[in-house]
Amino acid sequence: MKTITMDVLKDAANRLLFTMSEEEYQTLYDEFQILTKQMGNIGKIEGLEDFAPMTFPFDCTTDFLREDEAKEPLPREEVLENAGNVQDNEIKLPKVVL
Amino acid sequence: MNYLDLSIDALHEALVKKEVTPLELTLEALKRAKEDNNNAIERLDEENAIAFAKTLTEPEVDNPLWGIPYFAKDNFSTKGVETTASSNILNGYVPIYDATVVKKLKDAKMVMIGKTTLDELAMGGTGTTGHLGKTYNPYDEKHLHMVGGSSCGSAASVAAGLVPFALGSDTGDSVRKPASYAGLVGMKPTWGRISRYGLFPFAPSLDHVAYFTRDVSLSAYALNALSGRDENDSTSSTRPVEDYAADLHKDVKGMRVAVLKDIVDSITNKVLLKKFNKSLEELKKKGVEIHEVEFGKELLESLYATYIVISCAEATSNDANLDGIKFGPYEGGNTYQEVMFNARTKGFSELIKRRFVIGSYCLMRENQEELFLRAQRNRAKIVAKINEILDNADFIYAPAAPGVAGLFDGASDKLSDEYLIADNHLCLGNFAGLPSITLPLGFEDGLPLGVNFMGKAFEERKLFNIAKTFEDISGLADLSALNKKEGNL
Amino acid sequence: MNFEAVIGLEIHVEMKTKSKMFSSAPVGFSREPNTQVAPLDMAFPGTMPVVNKQAVINAIRVANALHMEIDHTLYFDRKNYFYSDLPKGFQITQQARPIGKNGYLEVEIDGVKKKIGIERIHMEEDTCKQLHFMDYTLLDYNRAGVPLVEIVSLPEMSNGTEAMKYVETIRNIVLYSGTSDGKMEEGSLRCDTNVSIRPIGQKEFGTKVEVKNINSFKSIEAAIDYEIKRQSQLLLSGEKVRQETRRWDEASGKTVLMRVKTDAVDYKYFCEPNITPIHLSDEFVENAIRTCPELYDSKKERYLKAGLALSDVEIILSNIDMASYFEKAMDKVKNPKDLANFLIVEINAYLNKNVLKITDLSLKPETLAEIVLLQEEGGLSHKQCADILFKVLEEPTLSPKDAQKALNIVAQVSDTGAIMGFVTQVLDANPQSIADFKAGKDRALGFLVGQIMKLSKGKVNPAEASRLLKEELLKR
Repeated sequence: MKTITMDVLKDAANRLLFTMSEEEYQTLYDEFQILTKQMGNIGKIEGLEDFAPMTFPFDCTTDFLREDEAKEPLPREEVLENAGNVQDNEIKLPKVVL
Repeated sequence: MNYLDLSIDALHEALVKKEVTPLELTLEALKRAKEDNNNAIERLDEENAIAFAKTLTEPEVDNPLWGIPYFAKDNFSTKGVETTASSNILNGYVPIYDATVVKKLKDAKMVMIGKTTLDELAMGGTGTTGHLGKTYNPYDEKHLHMVGGSSCGSAASVAAGLVPFALGSDTGDSVRKPASYAGLVGMKPTWGRISRYGLFPFAPSLDHVAYFTRDVSLSAYALNALSGRDENDSTSSTRPVEDYAADLHKDVKGMRVAVLKDIVDSITNKVLLKKFNKSLEELKKKGVEIHEVEFGKELLESLYATYIVISCAEATSNDANLDGIKFGPYEGGNTYQEVMFNARTKGFSELIKRRFVIGSYCLMRENQEELFLRAQRNRAKIVAKINEILDNADFIYAPAAPGVAGLFDGASDKLSDEYLIADNHLCLGNFAGLPSITLPLGFEDGLPLGVNFMGKAFEERKLFNIAKTFEDISGLADLSALNKKEGNL
Repeated sequence: MNFEAVIGLEIHVEMKTKSKMFSSAPVGFSREPNTQVAPLDMAFPGTMPVVNKQAVINAIRVANALHMEIDHTLYFDRKNYFYSDLPKGFQITQQARPIGKNGYLEVEIDGVKKKIGIERIHMEEDTCKQLHFMDYTLLDYNRAGVPLVEIVSLPEMSNGTEAMKYVETIRNIVLYSGTSDGKMEEGSLRCDTNVSIRPIGQKEFGTKVEVKNINSFKSIEAAIDYEIKRQSQLLLSGEKVRQETRRWDEASGKTVLMRVKTDAVDYKYFCEPNITPIHLSDEFVENAIRTCPELYDSKKERYLKAGLALSDVEIILSNIDMASYFEKAMDKVKNPKDLANFLIVEINAYLNKNVLKITDLSLKPETLAEIVLLQEEGGLSHKQCADILFKVLEEPTLSPKDAQKALNIVAQVSDTGAIMGFVTQVLDANPQSIADFKAGKDRALGFLVGQIMKLSKGKVNPAEASRLLKEELLKR
């Protein structure tokens, strides 16, 4: 596991495309100390490795697949009405450099 | 006393006999909502509500939901009605579609009168982090006590008597804990029983549509309307919908209830313990077989961290769509990254950001095994333990919380046993996806206490059966701050 | 020092379906921007993915054609990253459990076959389309959510030609299985290549360079061969190959640096909780395979067996519409080779001249077969039939028989006795020509044949007439 430092946390926030105040990083750092300690304890729980990681709470395997039928698409006004920056019926961004 | 304060059966009868109309109920609910001072409501949808209520002129005898006004938590997509999940990043967002449950309730002729506040993006349990700040507990006129969260506005609106029903969502205990603090019936059915299409996700593997009522009967009737397969939610169950009210009055003799000893043992509140023990005696008198089981302290103490890791990891991904480009405030920038960065930095509160960093860190390649996957393995172990207990019992029973609602400025010791165990165990129902219902037990100094029953997957009918029995024992049906009762326990 | 190249390819193929991978929005290209969109495609809060059955069937068909093991339980994962073209902030893909793994395909170069291993094929969704202008970018969400499969080869190719053939083979598979248009130029088949080189005999791989923006089969070959040369020269001059992403520049015929790669991006994959595991029954998988349209290789084999030349087979199969046209007529003629000749020569010439596609042709395959039969059974020459064909193409209301009548085309006489009658008549009437012939003037023969054709009004087979004429001349 990566060692948690303030820089690691700042980098993580940056990768999530936001920043926080300095005090918040400190709070976060403290929260991490507790969390990683508890997760360390969980790692010591006997027989834990016998369990596969669980996403679904119970067996909910299905054989359902959606039939490939197109439905009426949204009117374009609805597609765009919540977007803050629109031009020529498209959403506009500063030039995306490849 | 107004018609709004009646039990659902009495209210329905009055509607059928045309003693009161949906419009009158709606207007009364709107009036109460406007006068309410609990900080529960994000916005009213007055015009639409009145217009719809006016169309309800011919009572539907077999539909107890007909004409009943309700609130939806502001994390349900409502077409044409601004929906923000109480986060600035969604300010001004007006959904273009209705959540499946909103549509279903409309089909059942319930009248949505507005949207209730919540902890920002449904993350949090205090009812203090949304747009409106603190949401108050209607049982505390001094406004010192929380009502709990994240479905704080829905809990407060039902407890304050504004409406008989409110939609909420429950990822860890976000309906069932506030229900305990607000003297309400809080129901979360099996994962997949109710479509989540249109519910703003927090952590989909744990998220449930859940709701508040003041009596068990309405809780059962509502599930009849809300349940069912939805082609827009492929995780929704294809099992046929039953009549969940069919067994409300059935004899519970011979039913087996497992009491989680470790949870009860961690509780220090004497009033709660006394009432809880009395409830056990009363259940026994009804022929219910009670036995105590040990869950394992180690496993119970691991609930909180397991929950935080899984829910934050899923949340950071679910909320990656909030970038100010397609919806929500556009904050500008010189590059697309700056556009996203500005929107997200301004739009999320610091608490939310901390949770996202935690979740993201847990998913990082070099951390995933020791954090995210470990939490998922532990979830599997916890669920195995729950199912082992339910092999020998119909229900798991415990106090819903270690006591009454906490104070806003009360320091809680987040690492005490009482906190780690008794304050967090309701997430067992989310880990295992099992139906779980919170019911009022009684009061301590005028504030409600609650209990919780958890049943087997898709056995909601049976769960309502024991819940109704319990409600008869407690004598606390139709409770609200306008309709206070002492109860029998 | 001699180097060998190690090449691996990642190919994204857009699936041909009516609706998107996880939403019911229609899939349609060249439409007005933002008109083929469902709430999920905009990542509106609360929307959820529902898996498209046809996309799964298509993936199974491709996996089967690539000899892969097919996973009978589908799981999906989230690939988390922020980008302007990614509405949800994650892409739904299959990281942990691809629908197919451990496959291969065979390429043939100069008659030598080579097996190339394929690691995996998985299903995922496309991003929205970005239109770049001078100082801004516009986003069109029509493409967001279009079903894709990604096919990842093992690093087992060693030059540009192999890579090109590999991509061509995959193109043929997706095209003939009906799963995709497979058009590189239009982006429905996209290819990223990883190229490294190492001294022959060395086990470890060299530093990998990724080359993007390759938009045609020819460019695959050119880009890889350029890159091999570039890397070799670097190493020979004592420099190192940097780990970087380069772009193929069609105009200059060079690869150009896009960015130097730092750490591999961490996509923080985890299991998509909004799609429960999906079990595919044996019956479902078998049915998807059984009902798959006939693949390129199988058609090729069948056409060869029917007597077509390899070069003709390749021409016909290079255009799936032509293959389909051929297919509809081939059972109605005696010898498919005759049909192939008309298609490849006359029909193609007509299409080229008029700038048409074979799908624009009003001539029905059955009608073409009738014309071929006039040659095979009706005693007309290829030339005569070609005339009829062009007449019918000009006047589509005419049947081949009508056209024949209109053009005054009559069947050739090949009966020896009848032809002999004309030969005798002509020789009797032209003693001077006989003398010329005997004197060694070959031109006389041509003149006599011409006289026979004139006398018979073109009905006799000129070759046969010429043969009989020579025999008779020798006798006189």
